[in-house]
Amino acid sequence: MQTYERILLASHGTQGARAADTAAMSLCTSGAAIDHLEVVPDLWKGMMGDDWLNNASTRDIFGSYVESELGREVQQHIKKLENESAKKAIRYHPIVVLGKPTESLLEQATKHKYDLVVIGSPRPRGETGLRSRMHLDTLARGLSIPILIVPYPQ
Amino acid sequence: MIYSQKTPATLILGIVFAAYGWAVKQGLLDGMLAYLGQTKNADEMVAIALTAGIVGIIAGIVQLFATAREGNFDYYLSTIAGALFILLVAAVVKWQFAPLVAILSKAMGTVGGTGKPIHKLLGLNYVVLGILSGIIIVNYFKIPSWAENGVRLSRLGLKTGVILLGALYSIAELAKLGQLSVVMIGFFVLGSVGMVLFIGARRHIPNSMGGVLSAGMGVCGVSATVAAAPVVQAKSTEIAYTIGTILLWGVLMMFIFPPLGHALGMGPVQFGAWAGTGILNSAQVAGAALAFQPDGIETLKVAEIFNITRVLFLPIIVLWLAVWYVKRESGAQTVNVGKVIVGKFPVFVLGFILVFALSSTGIFAPANHYKGKYFDNSNVSAKKMLSDGDVATLQAQVDKVQREDRTAALSRLMENRKVMSIDDDDTLRGLVNAKVLDKGANKILKKAHKAVRHTAKRVKKFRQLIVWFFAFGLVGLGMQITFASIKQAGGQPLFIGTIVGATKAVGALIVILLFVQETI
Repeated sequence: MQTYERILLASHGTQGARAADTAAMSLCTSGAAIDHLEVVPDLWKGMMGDDWLNNASTRDIFGSYVESELGREVQQHIKKLENESAKKAIRYHPIVVLGKPTESLLEQATKHKYDLVVIGSPRPRGETGLRSRMHLDTLARGLSIPILIVPYPQ
Repeated sequence: MIYSQKTPATLILGIVFAAYGWAVKQGLLDGMLAYLGQTKNADEMVAIALTAGIVGIIAGIVQLFATAREGNFDYYLSTIAGALFILLVAAVVKWQFAPLVAILSKAMGTVGGTGKPIHKLLGLNYVVLGILSGIIIVNYFKIPSWAENGVRLSRLGLKTGVILLGALYSIAELAKLGQLSVVMIGFFVLGSVGMVLFIGARRHIPNSMGGVLSAGMGVCGVSATVAAAPVVQAKSTEIAYTIGTILLWGVLMMFIFPPLGHALGMGPVQFGAWAGTGILNSAQVAGAALAFQPDGIETLKVAEIFNITRVLFLPIIVLWLAVWYVKRESGAQTVNVGKVIVGKFPVFVLGFILVFALSSTGIFAPANHYKGKYFDNSNVSAKKMLSDGDVATLQAQVDKVQREDRTAALSRLMENRKVMSIDDDDTLRGLVNAKVLDKGANKILKKAHKAVRHTAKRVKKFRQLIVWFFAFGLVGLGMQITFASIKQAGGQPLFIGTIVGATKAVGALIVILLFVQETI
């Protein structure tokens, strides 16, 4: 199996993304590096725009709560990948950004010389989860390095 | 942190407003205003445009040339550009776009056998078009960074509008609407919260999801979700699903309710009560009320009382859900009752009560006003007095009147050529509504009523101001409704929300049509 020195992994803890995590780990040899991009979708910025009845303190409490929830979910995922990377002696570097998934990935891909980009497959219809996904067509046109789209786990 | 930006946007917006106000004042736009049927609004245009222009030019110069320092002044300065941006959109829609849509729609003729042009059927007035403009701007063009702080300020517009609305209620009106809203909201809020929890338990959704969904569906939509989510420790996806579902339903209902209300022949009281109870999201309640009656605020007045009642229920529901959640989840934090009640209490309602109390003292209109109108027959001009012909017409039909009080009031009217007391006025209004006399006689009685019932000047100004605060707030709220948020509608919340939302809307409609009379 072909192995890589530096992989850009974009995943966010869903089932499809976990398949991408496993694939990225298996494609790295000891000493290789994984840059793990975790995008918090910017749709959260518009989530309480419509609220006008609450006072500022209620909105602040909600804002802090959502931030801490999202932060907890991200940290759980990062912790898990950190442990797995350590076992395989892979250098792991998490990158958390707030933005649109596709644009954020394209931007990160230009920052270093990556050998491969690894992402999960779109969620099958009927599966629960946020509606914020990678636009594969935009990625295919915008990336100058190979991309691996890992099949959704059966 | 420095919030204000070195941008020419504020100055440019100020110049645009000032130039428009000046052009209207000089009569340069008379032709266009006449074509759009907006000549009657010329004074309003001059006042608003020149005020906004002066504010924009001064703030723009300060922003560009003064050194910004951290603090409240800097923050408030940073909001002016966004506020002017919203005002510009609202003004263009209200003064130009909406009238143009109406002209084009009328030119296309009526739709099918309805006898109405398409803009009337779809309720495409300045309120709906303003909200739509806001939604289109945020989703297709993006809000400029210099306008972001000001767009958030639009909440203040709605709250200020509600506070000022307090000046337009009489004690009797508020008491009757208050009673009706407490019964309706109490039944439907508690009913829909219970229904969500019941269906949720049957479908085995997590308690956190049931808690946040029931608050959102039952009380006041996104605002209730925001208040309840931390209390029931909702997961991020549960919050996203719930808010998406509420926004989807709220926006749909805002467009469906007004044409349906007209089709069912509802009046301001019935429609205001229906929108105030049946529309999930409180922001869209105001939108639907103004969309139903864009040229008056009677519907808005009713709907907002329902909105206020809903928001007063919010601390109680949050408390209930907190206790409910603690009982079911072992790791849940205990509830501090006082903190929940004080923290969730809507302070702006106190402003509404204060303005209402001031209004009751007669500071805005004579204390005996009803719906902003008061009785005064001391200065009825000769033109407005009954003519000999009017008296003869009434005299010829006086035998038709059976009730003694009505006969007496009619006699006093004919004798004095004007209505002599507030009681007589009420009695004669009852006679008109009873349709005992023919159309000609009723027309005379209506003329006599108008001659002695006056709208207080301050109340009239308040009405204009309130409409603008709401238009401003709703365009701004439109700018905060993103398709990305609405797209999150899904999963169990969409299923349960659809059942509960539809049940509440239909149930409220049936109750209102059966039990709520148009006269308050």
